[in-house]
Formats: sequence, C-alpha cells, structure tokens
Amino acid sequence: MAEAPSSFRTAGRNGRGWNWASHGAWFTPCLSLILCLAIWEAAVRYFAVPVYLLPAPSAIARKLVVSYPLFLDATMHSAVAIIVGFGVAVLVGIPAATLMIYSEWFRRSVYPILLTAQVLPKVALAPLFIVWFGFGLLPKVLMTFLISFFPIVIDSLTGLNAVRPESLMLIRSMGGTRWQSFWKVRLPGALPSIFGGFKVAITFAVVGTIVAEFVGSDNGLGYILVLARGNLDTVTVFAAILWLIVIGFLFYFAVEIAEWFCIRGRAAGRSQELGAGL
Amino acid sequence: MIPEKSSNGALIDARSISKVFQSGNETINALRDVSFDVGRGEFVSILGPSGCGKTTLMLILVGLTIADAGEVSIDGHRISAPYTNVGIVFQNPELLEWRTALENILLQIEIRRLPAVHFTGRARALLTQVGLCGFENKFPFELSGGMKQRVALCRALIHDPEILLMDEPFGALDALTRDQMNLDLQRLWLERQKTAVFVTHSIDEAVFLSDRIVVMTPRPGTISEIIKVDLPRPRTLDRKDTPQFNAYTGHIRKRFLELGVLRDG
Repeated sequence: MAEAPSSFRTAGRNGRGWNWASHGAWFTPCLSLILCLAIWEAAVRYFAVPVYLLPAPSAIARKLVVSYPLFLDATMHSAVAIIVGFGVAVLVGIPAATLMIYSEWFRRSVYPILLTAQVLPKVALAPLFIVWFGFGLLPKVLMTFLISFFPIVIDSLTGLNAVRPESLMLIRSMGGTRWQSFWKVRLPGALPSIFGGFKVAITFAVVGTIVAEFVGSDNGLGYILVLARGNLDTVTVFAAILWLIVIGFLFYFAVEIAEWFCIRGRAAGRSQELGAGL
Repeated sequence: MIPEKSSNGALIDARSISKVFQSGNETINALRDVSFDVGRGEFVSILGPSGCGKTTLMLILVGLTIADAGEVSIDGHRISAPYTNVGIVFQNPELLEWRTALENILLQIEIRRLPAVHFTGRARALLTQVGLCGFENKFPFELSGGMKQRVALCRALIHDPEILLMDEPFGALDALTRDQMNLDLQRLWLERQKTAVFVTHSIDEAVFLSDRIVVMTPRPGTISEIIKVDLPRPRTLDRKDTPQFNAYTGHIRKRFLELGVLRDG
C-alpha cells in the first residue's frame, strides 16, 4: 500500500484511558465555585446583609432541604411543559424543514410566517395566551413550542440542504427514490446540524416555560419565583433559580446523550445490524 | 420503449448532444453538437480542458442530466430517465461518513433493494482486490484519499453494472497514487471487460487507459478528434517511456496547442 492510513494519526483521539487534561477541566471550575460560595458566605455574615437583599449560601441550602417537596413538585410541573413544548417543536420542526426542502411553494409561503413569529417578542403574546387558554398547561406548552421551534427548523434546513449534489446523483444512478435518498443520505447527513438546533432549542424551551409561568400560571418554578418575590422571600427566589439551573443542565445533557446515541453510536449500531444479517 | 438497434452496434450512442446553461442573464454553451459512440467492453476517455463540459457530457450519457438537443441511446434504448445499470465514480469519493467502507459499498445494494447477504462476500473480495483487505470496518475519516477512491470504485462495481462511468476519479490524488490507481483500474477493467467512460484532463492517463480518446475543445465543448490507441494490453508503466506511447501524447499535446488550450512561451 502506497499511502499511509490517516487512522494511525487519529487513533489516540478517542482513547478511553485516564486523561489528566479532561479531569483537570472538572477540578478547576469546582474549586473556583467553592471559593466563590465561601467568599459570598463570609461577606454576607461579616457585613450582616439583610436576608431579603442577599441570603447566604447556607440559608439557601437550608431552604432547599426543608422545602424539598415544594420545589420538586414545582419542577415537575415545569419539566412537563418543557418536555411537551420541546417535543412538539421537534415533531413539527423537522417535517416542516423537510417540506421546505422539497417544496419551493411551501418554503415561500411558510418562511415569512416563521420569520414574523421569530422576530416578534413572544413574551408579548403571553397575556393573550392567558385570555385564550387560561392558567393550565396549554399556554405554557404553546409558549415553549413557539420559542424553541425556530432554531430547530433553521438548523434542520441548513443540515438537509448541505447534502452534496453528487451524492444525490449517485442515489439516482442506483435507481433510488426520493424517499431513499432522504432516509439514507439527507437525514443522516443532517443529524449533526439538527442536534445543534436541538441544543439551542432546549435551553430556549426552559426560558419559554418559565416566562409563561411568570405571566400566568398557578404552578411551576416560574410561579414560585413570582410568589416568593411578592413576599420578599429572597431565599426561595435563590433556591428556585438553583433548581432552574439544575433542570436546564439536565435537559441539555439529555439532548447531548441523545446526540451521542444518534451520531457517534450510530456507526457501531449499524455494523452490528449488518453483522446480524450475516 | 421500442428497441431500435443503432446502425454501428455500439452500446452507447450519443447523437448531436447540445447543452446550454443559464447563469444569471448569461448563456453558456457547454456542449455543441457532440456525437460519438462507445462499443461494448470498450474503454473510452473524454479528454479536454477544465470547463469544456466533459462532466456534463458524461451525466447526459446516463440520463442524470437532460440534453437540450440530441439524444443518447444505450443498447438501442433512448435514454430519457436515469439509466441504472451503471456504476459511477466521481472526483470526490462521495462516501457517507457515518458508514464504514463495507457499508458504503453495500449502499449500492441497499438502494437497489438487493439482498445484502449475497453481496457482502463480494464486497469483501472487491476490497481485497483493490488492496484494502482488513479495512472493511474503517470509516472514511480513517482512510487516505486514494483508499477512499478505491472504496468508491468498489461501490461502483459491486452490482456488476454494464457500464462504468468515472469523472476525473484520480484528479485529486498525488502522482504516485495516481499511477498505482491507473494500473489497478486497468487490471479490474481487463478482468471484467466493462464498458467504461473515463473523463479526465490528463493526456497521459487517457493514453495509458483508453481504447479510444474523445478529445474535446474548450467551451463550447465540441469533439476535436477521436483517437484510437493501439497499444498492447496489459499496459505497464514503463510503456509510458516508449516512442509509441509518446507519439500519442505528443499528438494530443500538439492538438491542444493548436486549440489554444496550451500555449508555448
């Protein structure tokens, strides 16, 4: 063989051994976080800051433990709205992007509406949603859907359009159908881009749900925030924010795990599938 | 479809092909009145400068692009939709990055809805023939440019097509790899005697591989000359230094000088 395979150069890239660099990447931010909390705690105690202005981390921690069921219940309500809203955005967004690829007419008629919906500050719609749909799950889901729909459609469009024309010609020369070239070439090729859209959308989805709960809801973390602020219960506000951060991370990582299965795990899964057919 | 045998019994028969591209308000004549044929089992190169419509011509031959005028028939049947009894290799390997070498080859089988089980062994054998034994489960990013093009060649041959089309398949490879690929391609072709259409801008490559060379003019692409290459096969690399070989390359180079494709001094 005249050529050296590039695998020899890249083989070590996905090594699974203990990696000081990546563990250092966890250790350092943890240390700085603990340091920040310590300074915060010390400053609040030293200057005797009133608790309604800035509670100490220890007070927030106590609140988190004592009112654990309350927060868990609120988080569940928010999480349902986030999951349903994001899920609907995915289920509508990818087919919409697909239709826009294949139908010039559909793209022309839908794109202006999509763009209008995006430039319009969706918070402004929240009062309307209360008027139309009341205080239940529906206005929350709708807000979440609206806010996370756009990045999913745009990134799916980019990904689906990135296919090389020669690849499509090859499929045609094999007598392949449009359906086959979509499932075998276009969609798999678009997945990295689509997941990019998912990652942006899932963080937006959390914002959408909380905004809807701010404006009009009788449950969820956003509702707790509004209620606590009204009572000058700053400790609860901080505790709720902490829960928000945690679920934000959890949802983001859930998308990353799904991506890992769909994109990196795909290669292994496919060869197993092929091997089973032997 | 009514089969009407072409007069000369050629497998591919292109008659008066013309193609015009519209680019903004500019009209580009890509091909003008191109006629030639390719016999069954013949290796024909389309040789010409960049932008002379070689690739367009190749795509028209198998119905992947529709000509504005003229017609193509394969085995007596007029081509009006993509002809599928073909294997194509483009300049870019066009391997799907999420599939292994073997899976990329078997894409051809999957799309044609043929039973993959029957072709897996054949795919492995092809990989071995092009020197890629043991690389079945490598992903494209793990392969060099030459290896990827070998996989693409296997994908074009796995279903044993009537016609093999190649569009500057070795254009992006270094000179040494290219020589090796030419030898390997000649061997594969001699073993199978496929009808082959090979698009290139390398005079050397065209003479080395072809039975006949269709020499194209710059845009608008027309046929300048069709040259029959009478060199014994299998051709070896040292044949390239013989007067017979150089007579052909010299003749074509002179033709390109006359056409203004090449300029002295």
